[in-house]
Amino acid sequence: MSRPRTKSIVEFCRFARANGVSAGTKETIDCLQVAEAIADADRDTFRFALRAILTSSADEWVLFDDLFTAFWANPDPTSESLSKNPARRRLAPPSLRHESGSRMVTAFGNGSEPEGEGEQKRFSGASAVERLRKVDFSQMPQTDLAELERIALRLLRRMSYRVARRLRARKRRGSIDLRRTIRRSICRGGEFLDLCYKGPKKERAKVVILLDVSDSMNPYSFFLLKFAYVLGKYSREVKSFIFSTILVEVSNLLRTPRMSDALRTLAQMTACWSGGTRIGESLRDFNAHHAAALLSRHTVVIVLSDGWDTGAPEELAAELKKIRRRVAKVIWLNPLLGLEEYRPVTRGISAALPFIDVFAPAHNLQSLLALEEHLRPGR
Amino acid sequence: MARQFRDIEDVIERLGRLGYVADRALATAIYLLLNLGKPLLIEGPAGVGKTEAAKALAAMLETELIRLQCYEGLDLNSAVYEWNYQKQLLAIKIQEGSDKTVEEKENYVFGSNFLLKRPLLQSILSEERAPVLLVDEIDRADEAFEAFLLELLAEFQITIPELGTIQAKRVPHVILTSNSSRELSDALKRRCLYHWIDYPDLAKELEIVRVRLPEIDGDLSSEVVRFVHTIRDLNLSKPPGVSETIDLSRSLILLEKTKLDQEAAEETLGCILKSADDLTKVRSEGLSRLLSRSGGS
Repeated sequence: MSRPRTKSIVEFCRFARANGVSAGTKETIDCLQVAEAIADADRDTFRFALRAILTSSADEWVLFDDLFTAFWANPDPTSESLSKNPARRRLAPPSLRHESGSRMVTAFGNGSEPEGEGEQKRFSGASAVERLRKVDFSQMPQTDLAELERIALRLLRRMSYRVARRLRARKRRGSIDLRRTIRRSICRGGEFLDLCYKGPKKERAKVVILLDVSDSMNPYSFFLLKFAYVLGKYSREVKSFIFSTILVEVSNLLRTPRMSDALRTLAQMTACWSGGTRIGESLRDFNAHHAAALLSRHTVVIVLSDGWDTGAPEELAAELKKIRRRVAKVIWLNPLLGLEEYRPVTRGISAALPFIDVFAPAHNLQSLLALEEHLRPGR
Repeated sequence: MARQFRDIEDVIERLGRLGYVADRALATAIYLLLNLGKPLLIEGPAGVGKTEAAKALAAMLETELIRLQCYEGLDLNSAVYEWNYQKQLLAIKIQEGSDKTVEEKENYVFGSNFLLKRPLLQSILSEERAPVLLVDEIDRADEAFEAFLLELLAEFQITIPELGTIQAKRVPHVILTSNSSRELSDALKRRCLYHWIDYPDLAKELEIVRVRLPEIDGDLSSEVVRFVHTIRDLNLSKPPGVSETIDLSRSLILLEKTKLDQEAAEETLGCILKSADDLTKVRSEGLSRLLSRSGGS
């Protein structure tokens, strides 16, 4: 292969890498090898070949064509004159600027990463996700929620894989179920080929979510609703309620196959949105109408609220105590806990604290993912 | 491997003869798969022919297609190998009276007669020709399995403690498909060539329908394809794929319809819409309106 051509391919690989295509040196070598194999192919074939090698996701797939065009604006990729244009390195195709993921990362990074001049600062996928996890929901512009939702789904899916259904040989398989073993052995002429075991039946934790959608929770409630939605997909045993001054069950609504539809319908239920908070009364309502059916030794109750309560703290304490007595665990997630200066001293919260098992923040993805620890079955 | 294919044109042509309409990009990817010996990861929405691509490749190479369907909870026992315990126990029982040594008995019981070969093991055991290994819907398997697969794709060898390490005589051609319901690990993606199949445009889909169903009437096929395209634009929860288009065409032929009018569309709606919500949505849009919209374009 001619040297100038080799050089321009290597340069293109570097250019693609600098613009967010996650290909390594191995891929560059593959490109060179292929370029030789299809030396007399046309430009499109050349593009398809490089694309198949260098990209590895749908996003990169789309991005690639722009990069390719930007790099080889000249119709002949083999031409030597091409690789001499120094301005090319700064060329960022238009699609890059619309890529919300990276833009948000630059906008909400910790500030210590100054934006390079002309050259766009890029992070690999993993570190971008890492940063996003730490962004406070209240600072998230509305337009970036879609991107965040995608990542939340991905992380939560990962979480659900931790409780996979894979079977594993256990040291203790429980005791042998003689009755069934003997029954089974009949068809084998009395030989015990299949042993049957019996052991305690495992039950999945049931989850009840009580989500505060009052004014003070406004920056968070929409995102936490999405969280409830995803959690509902992850386990069938999730019941969700929203409350501000009244309590409304939204479990079925959240099971609508599409999240956007569910959220739109919810947004139209203006009666429950915003306004003041009466946590105590809402919990009383819950205890009166739903507790008997939903609460058991296997239930985990998650309250998502900042604890700003306009009702009487005694009532909140009393109702929460009733709930606590019937369930496995009460988790109170408070978005304000993410703020450093916050102390749980509002009257409502301090009255409720004795009946809470886990009091944790819920202001970003990382804090929500920490929940996994508490939701694991059998704990 | 030996270069059986002159160039990419050759791949397109041979696939076409087998009834698989491949565009240049996919043909290039397949050409690279054959020549670089790298696995090919195909992503895209459901029903656009990801699995078909692997079948067509196997047919083109005149070799065996070994398919591993992934699912949540897939483990090595169902993907690689398993001993046939019941048969082993019986064999032990049968040998009780014989005068073989313990060692002989053991070798017999752990012989290949008692090994249940699952797809991944099968794929590296081929003697004659390299088979096509299709790992379908890899995104459904869990990450531990993905890691194992990564190792297999690097070495093409499998170790069975009782038998030793088995090295592939013919390295299989590997195609992985994913509906991108979950992000795959970077390591796996890096090892693979990548191809994204989207819904085909009108002309290509028409070609696919005509290749798959040569008996279809020309006007009917274009009506069907345009109608499906209109429906695909409706933002449904399960948009119809190419296989649905073919199902619809086949049903219309079977029902001896020569035109896709409102009545025919109503009767066959179940071929392309697979959820109650979508059905409601399409009905509320009005079938006749959709049909006229697709006819007008």
